[in-house]
Amino acid sequence: MKLRLMALAIALGTMPLATPGFAHHSTAMYNMTNPVTVTGVVKRFEWVNPHAYIYLEVTDESGKKVEWQIEMMSLNHLKSYGWTHATVKPGDTISCTGGAAKSGDPAMLSSLVKLADGRTIKS
Amino acid sequence: MRVIHCFGLMVLTAAAQGPPARPARVVPPARIVSFTAKPESIQAGQPVVLVWATENPNGVTIDPDVGRVAARGSRQIFPSTSTTYTLKVTGPQDSLLTKSVTVTVAGTAAGAVSKAAPPKDARMPDGKPDLTGVYGFAGVRGLAEPELKPGAEKYKVDRSGHFVGGRTTLGTDCVPLGVPQTFVTPYPFQIVQKQNFLVMLFEYPNTFRFIPLDGRPHSADPDPTWMGESVGRWDGDTLVVDTIGFNTKTEVSGYLHSEALHVVERYHRVANGLQYDVTVEDPNVFQKPWVFPSRVLPARPDEERVDEFVCENNVDYGKFFGKDDKK
Repeated sequence: MKLRLMALAIALGTMPLATPGFAHHSTAMYNMTNPVTVTGVVKRFEWVNPHAYIYLEVTDESGKKVEWQIEMMSLNHLKSYGWTHATVKPGDTISCTGGAAKSGDPAMLSSLVKLADGRTIKS
Repeated sequence: MRVIHCFGLMVLTAAAQGPPARPARVVPPARIVSFTAKPESIQAGQPVVLVWATENPNGVTIDPDVGRVAARGSRQIFPSTSTTYTLKVTGPQDSLLTKSVTVTVAGTAAGAVSKAAPPKDARMPDGKPDLTGVYGFAGVRGLAEPELKPGAEKYKVDRSGHFVGGRTTLGTDCVPLGVPQTFVTPYPFQIVQKQNFLVMLFEYPNTFRFIPLDGRPHSADPDPTWMGESVGRWDGDTLVVDTIGFNTKTEVSGYLHSEALHVVERYHRVANGLQYDVTVEDPNVFQKPWVFPSRVLPARPDEERVDEFVCENNVDYGKFFGKDDKK
């Protein structure tokens, strides 16, 4: 199924759209008002438009491993923050902070990443 | 490049399974990761490559000669005299970081001023403006509602109930947005200009416009396409682009249209980009030409080209949507 436009993303042509971050699609499926942080091990890093993704293996409180789908901004924005295709790599332990999926799925729209060496970078 | 993030940086630093924590504003600091010149000593006329990497910058410049640049990159230069290049990074709370490297040119004094940056008023051999370069998008402010023809209310896009009549409202299907809607999507575009034609390359969704500048008229019966058929001409230093031949799958700021859509755009170079004026006509929808307020498509001198854009990971979203969100 393809992404469908949500109400939050309306009227692009007439709204006073000021930030490039209003990118591509709605954030309505994410709880952006109550962000959380997840820490895990990078399994895969998709450095692609329209949005980059990190697939993060997170161990929950019961010891079960859950793969989180971490959505980030488009490549032009990430590059403006200093990202490259090599900023994270499989095996890195990182923390991602952002809005989790309202559906309860292990997914997040991340706005900040703490890298393996402790640097923080916008995402 | 602008670094404002719509999702914001106001975050809660709570564990995923833990109780809610108090909000904390997290603004990561700007950093200079590296700045080098290779080699640092040359003979006059030899090249040097400046290589830099920064993180979380609000703005990055290299002086002299280079100017505004992207967060990371490299640039080949040919200093004629020994020159100290300084990387300047602005960050949150008006912070400023600098790092310098000196390139020594044999037989010249260190610290000498190098040549000035290239002029911004680039021209073609015939004297017309050369608009070649990368530009950003600009949202529409203060647009008046169009006056619809009787019975044309059906063309107004209904976004209630998460349903979108126009397929390309925000590019969620990764198809071209049409004109002028393409200039509100938050991805850059690039102009490549030649003497008798101009090409626009749009990062989203890797589509293009070919705009002849040789005085030709429109085709007698152009094929309906997403981006239409354009012809261009110069009105003084203003590029005027006339476009017809659209299909009916795009919208114009909240309104669908017929194949009779006719768009006239005017591009005029200003200090910070291209002043963009556009008038939209569709005799089946609008009572009279719909004139959009002027806006500036910002120049992006820090970018050399647009990026690849492949919508393969859009399929990941479906499971996050409820039943009401399906078309």
